[in-house]
Amino acid sequence: MSALLTIKGLSVRFGGVQALSAMDMEAPAGAITALIGPNGAGKTTAINCVSGVVAPDAGRVSFDGQEVLGLAGHKLACLGLTRTFQNLQVFGLMNALENVMVGMHAASRGGFAAAMLRLPLLRREEKAIRERAEEMLSFFGLEKLAHQPAEELAYGDQKRLELARALAGRPRLMLLDEPVAGLNAAETHEIGGLIVKIKEQGIGVVLVEHDMGLVMHVSDQVAVLSGGVLIAQGTPEEIQQDPEVLRTYLGGGEEFGLVA
Amino acid sequence: MGFGDQLAQYVISGLTTGAVYALVALGFCLIYNATRVVNFAQGDFLSLGGLMAYSLLIGAGLPMALAFPLAIVAVALVGALLERMAIRPARSRQVMVLIFITIAASILMRGIFKHLWGKQALALPPLSPETPLRLLGATFTPQNLWVLAITLVAIVALIWFFNRTLTGKAMRATAINSSAAALMGIDAHRMTMYSFALAGALGALAGVLITPITSLSYNVGVIIGLKGFAAAVLGGYGSFLGAVVGGLVLGLIESLTAGLISSVYKDAVAFVVLLLVLFLRPGGLLGVKGGNRV
Amino acid sequence: MSAQGKKFFGYLAALAAVLALLPLVVTNPYYLNVLNVVALNVLVVTGLNLLIGYAGQISLGHAAFFGLGAYISGILSGSYGWEPWTALLAAAVVVAVVALIIGLPTLRLEGNYLVMATLGFNLIVSVLMVQLDDITGGPSGYTGIPSLSFFGAPIASDISFYWLAWGAVLVGLILARNLVHSRVGRGLKALHEAPLAAAASGVPIEAYKVKVFIISAVYASVAGSLYAHYYGIITPATFDIFKSVELVTMCIVGGMGSLWGGLFGAALLTPMPQLLAVVEEYKDIFFGGILLVLLIFLPQGLVGWLEGKRVRPGGRAF
Ligand SMILES: Nc1ncnc2c1ncn2[C@@H]1O[C@H](COP(=O)(O)OP(=O)(O)OP(=O)(O)O)[C@@H](O)[C@H]1O
Ligand SMILES: [Mg+2]
Repeated sequence: MSALLTIKGLSVRFGGVQALSAMDMEAPAGAITALIGPNGAGKTTAINCVSGVVAPDAGRVSFDGQEVLGLAGHKLACLGLTRTFQNLQVFGLMNALENVMVGMHAASRGGFAAAMLRLPLLRREEKAIRERAEEMLSFFGLEKLAHQPAEELAYGDQKRLELARALAGRPRLMLLDEPVAGLNAAETHEIGGLIVKIKEQGIGVVLVEHDMGLVMHVSDQVAVLSGGVLIAQGTPEEIQQDPEVLRTYLGGGEEFGLVA
Repeated sequence: MGFGDQLAQYVISGLTTGAVYALVALGFCLIYNATRVVNFAQGDFLSLGGLMAYSLLIGAGLPMALAFPLAIVAVALVGALLERMAIRPARSRQVMVLIFITIAASILMRGIFKHLWGKQALALPPLSPETPLRLLGATFTPQNLWVLAITLVAIVALIWFFNRTLTGKAMRATAINSSAAALMGIDAHRMTMYSFALAGALGALAGVLITPITSLSYNVGVIIGLKGFAAAVLGGYGSFLGAVVGGLVLGLIESLTAGLISSVYKDAVAFVVLLLVLFLRPGGLLGVKGGNRV
Repeated sequence: MSAQGKKFFGYLAALAAVLALLPLVVTNPYYLNVLNVVALNVLVVTGLNLLIGYAGQISLGHAAFFGLGAYISGILSGSYGWEPWTALLAAAVVVAVVALIIGLPTLRLEGNYLVMATLGFNLIVSVLMVQLDDITGGPSGYTGIPSLSFFGAPIASDISFYWLAWGAVLVGLILARNLVHSRVGRGLKALHEAPLAAAASGVPIEAYKVKVFIISAVYASVAGSLYAHYYGIITPATFDIFKSVELVTMCIVGGMGSLWGGLFGAALLTPMPQLLAVVEEYKDIFFGGILLVLLIFLPQGLVGWLEGKRVRPGGRAF
């Protein structure tokens, strides 16, 4: 499996905090690569660098063979790289359907002039966008909430909405920052199943998560960050036996899902 | 008078108006840091300072040493009142709405000033008799010195206040992170109100200092207020040092263009410079690279 | 057509019907003139609303775009003999370029910078209108602007201009509505509410902000050109920063983010100074006071309030 996303030597410093030190990581297409680590390990920072939100001090990021560091955020979506946010970033006043329709932005073309004049091309495209968005809402079980303002949705539904938005544009790789944080066991299980289905469509997933049950269950590969340093990468089984990882999580064994 | 003398002259008058812009700019910064709001009533604080001083001095016959400080205190109260009556009860906390509340307050205040003090130009006497002084070939009035000296004192007092007093530190904490400050038991509303009061006081001080030089009327603060805003942006919005530098630079540029090129473009030049700085160095003269990007 | 679309065009048809019947009732040229001014303000505010209400950016310089539209079109046709419609188009092109030059560097920055840049720009334009008196006629204004014509018939009377101005409003509203309910319109709303997520979805934030700024400036320019050819005389004071504030106020009082809001805001505030003339010297006090109360208690605007839109306590302004 050749890597779709390659991170090499990524380093980020925020004032006195070295958030990432020379991190290397790869994520193949059509597989789930988990990125785990304690709070403050630098997981979100890594995702922010890849998605163009944070400019790293050093390192390279390539997506499908193309250097992407320094690209404006929206260009990545056009290349087929989308993400969700640990701190919810829904478009609060827009309804759920519109939120997902925004997710189709990169996959559609009509510009200002076409929109104002409502050219036929645009009307066709609009129909396709709407149908895809409706499809996404039902995939995530949100179809009944389509016309609710996003800010009025329950927390779990907003989490799903972010996933729906990120998936709408048929990306090749999705970066998911803690998609089940704060959800109960049943919801976690359900979303875990959906993430596997996403992978089965041939889409690569980078999954940042604290829920080790989920991580070990769905991931093909696991990368472990600690204090900004990548300390291990391997299959879930290898990671569960890695002495360094065990040390990092010492005392948290149960939560980590390593102790049966 | 030789060219060098003329230049010295322009520099002195530029620094004087610049100091006043700096005071107004500091007022903008205070409120901006506390609320992210551009307070468009800042110029009206200046007008009111001058007008109050005029009434207390000429109308009530108080001595200057009493009338001027009283005027400043009164405008500080008006500033606090603005926060208490218009900003705090606002049902929306959106910065855009709050900015427009200050614009509405500015229109209202100007209406009230016009009603109370009339439209005609008034005259506020300078702080000490107008015997011209000479320095390096430039002639200037004691008022020039007063403006510079008092502005300096005000800035030092502000620095002391924010670094040495508990209230000042609490205001800074609120400006940096109001929810964290609230967790520490700091009343954020109160701190915001203090910011408005302090901004009112600075505006009034500027009014008392500048109106003997320009002139005094119900709307004198409008343009000076905008220049103060420009100065704040020029220096790097929100930075106190930037506000002072921005004010002085703006004052100097204005006075030099008025003197050396043409006075009709004086007001325009200030804003042309501002636009250039915004375009070329968006973080302001002292700001960090690039400003805030999305 | 979607339900939203039906509703919009229903309202639009109602508006068109009212507009068609209004001249039967309103024959007094004074009131017709007020209606014409309302129309021009609605046009500017509709464009401004795209910028403020949808993209969340404040401009305090739209009176300058309005004024540039008026002066460029007026001078090209008055001094250089251009056909008025061509002059109107030329003015719109120039204004678009000017807006691009202002918007490109400032719209990358936090919202306050656009406020400052547009404000400064308006002040500069005002000074130039007064000082370049060889070209502009100086403080007393520029006169002798020819009327627009419609297939050879001049649009000079209040009633003929009424049809033109309100026709322009209807077209402006339809174009704006189409934009708002499109992929681009959703992108604009999105970049206002959650810029990071918008960018991650592929919305080119800076480009969209600049483009919508240009469009709103062009709306103002066209309205300004119409104004110039209607009155035949234009003075710098009509286009100062206070006019900019007034325009934004119309937008906010009517309801940001609602195209009908602009209509209401302009219809309500345009005649306000005349209405308040009865209270003569308390005019500013009343105006400021009313505005203050509306902003404090009805921040969602009149249309927002009528629609039962909730007030958003927090949220981003920029
Ligand atoms: N914008 C920022 N400015 C300053 N420090 C930051 C910033 N973003 C992150 N940090 C710091 O960088 C370190 C890594 O943070 P990051 O958010 O990447 O961790 P994380 O692994 O995602 O943690 P969590 O599991 O809690 O989400 C932390 O110490 C954090 O405080
Ligand atoms: Mg994180």
